[in-house]
Amino acid sequence: MGAAFPLAVLALWEVLARAGILSEDGFSRPSRFFVAGAKALADGTLLSQTFETFSAAAQALLIATLAGVALGALLGLFRPLERALQLTIDALRPIPSVALIPLSLLIFGFSRGMSAAVAAFACFWPILIVTTAAVRGVDRRLIEVGRLLGFPLPKIVLKLALPAALPGILVGIRVAAGIAIVVTVTTEIVTNPRGLGHAMTMAAEGLQPDLVWATLLWIGVVGWAVNWAMGPKR
Amino acid sequence: MVLEARNLSVSFGAQPVLRDIDLTVAEHEFVCVVGPSGCGKTTLLRALAGLTPISSGSALFKGRPVTGPQTELAVVFQDYARALLPWRTVAGNVALALEARHIPSSEHAARIAPLLAKLGLSADGDKFPSQLSGGMQQRLQIARCLAQEPEVLLMDEPFGSLDAITRQQLQDEVARMAKDDKRTVLFITHDLEEAIYLGDRVVALAPRPGRIAEIVDIALPRPRAQLATREDPRFLEYRHRLFRHLEH
Repeated sequence: MGAAFPLAVLALWEVLARAGILSEDGFSRPSRFFVAGAKALADGTLLSQTFETFSAAAQALLIATLAGVALGALLGLFRPLERALQLTIDALRPIPSVALIPLSLLIFGFSRGMSAAVAAFACFWPILIVTTAAVRGVDRRLIEVGRLLGFPLPKIVLKLALPAALPGILVGIRVAAGIAIVVTVTTEIVTNPRGLGHAMTMAAEGLQPDLVWATLLWIGVVGWAVNWAMGPKR
Repeated sequence: MVLEARNLSVSFGAQPVLRDIDLTVAEHEFVCVVGPSGCGKTTLLRALAGLTPISSGSALFKGRPVTGPQTELAVVFQDYARALLPWRTVAGNVALALEARHIPSSEHAARIAPLLAKLGLSADGDKFPSQLSGGMQQRLQIARCLAQEPEVLLMDEPFGSLDAITRQQLQDEVARMAKDDKRTVLFITHDLEEAIYLGDRVVALAPRPGRIAEIVDIALPRPRAQLATREDPRFLEYRHRLFRHLEH
């Protein structure tokens, strides 16, 4: 059912493009970009670019999750630590992640790590904030149960606080997954000559609107699949 | 003495909650603490468990000061739902206590089964707490405390939110368990009859600040029975004697 609307839009688009109402220079037409997309899929370029982009995004998400959950758990458990770090966090968080592209380029060069580092910075904040709030919201009774049973603090965090906070943390990771893809593609468009972002830049410079559209829709499809795979199942 | 409060006082900020509590609990004794709400019963239990800091005086376990929670002292909370891990099964919740004691997981099943049997949970090992009734959840919390193999059970109004029939069943089971396993129990309740029915001694607290009003030895024979014991003339005498402490 949900597919009816996008299919109708594509059909209308095709009609308008064929009638010459939509400029083919920019809008191409759906039949063409399906052909271009199929060709890029068949010769393997689209898949290798997809692998490049999504492994950079996955790396970023992994790093941000490890760092964000670990620091978030500490901040959620220890108020004084949170107070001590609040100013630092508030000062760093508003920095636009793409503003780190020049710096990341200096450190990592033109590499997958360059994109991953910038995306990890962007993903870190939502995971940190959501984890801090979720761990702080864990019922104190559970922590007391852990202390009474004789668990040392690290075990209380791993066995009680984090599992209890997990539903909240997962929401943060899901939000961050979307951010990871957005920022990775951005770095590829702006500087890094890799992945799907760079493929679109090159296609645009080569005046191939059909391939630009095909890549763009492809990112949407794969992004949707990632979100679906990470989402709650009924 | 297994458990002892010596001139124990607790204040929250400037507000005194408990003042100069002197109380000893002997080995294998079942001591009940009653008092009107807000008299500091729960605070007394938490101070003895090492969960609430003491302002002055001391709490002693086997003569050593209690400075924090220790595994010999298990606490059964009234709000069982908050004390259980909803993402673990019944067996998994009991296993938590075994994990804390570093018991190899190969031995868990053999240790968990008799505990579940003892609490009437044998058929529910694979269920999650949310699938159990309130009484069954409280049984599970007690099973987990027993898996801790504590010397002392500190029970904080454990049956306060259960229906009357479940409450009576659990009273009898806990009384039997305490005697059979020779465990020392400190039992907090606001229900005077429950305190007399279960206790070897009943400690009545007076409120604001919490202090001991009276301690009564309960000379009712064991095992006790819900009907016979409660109809015993001495039961009524104890009830009359202690009742005034619960009036405001």
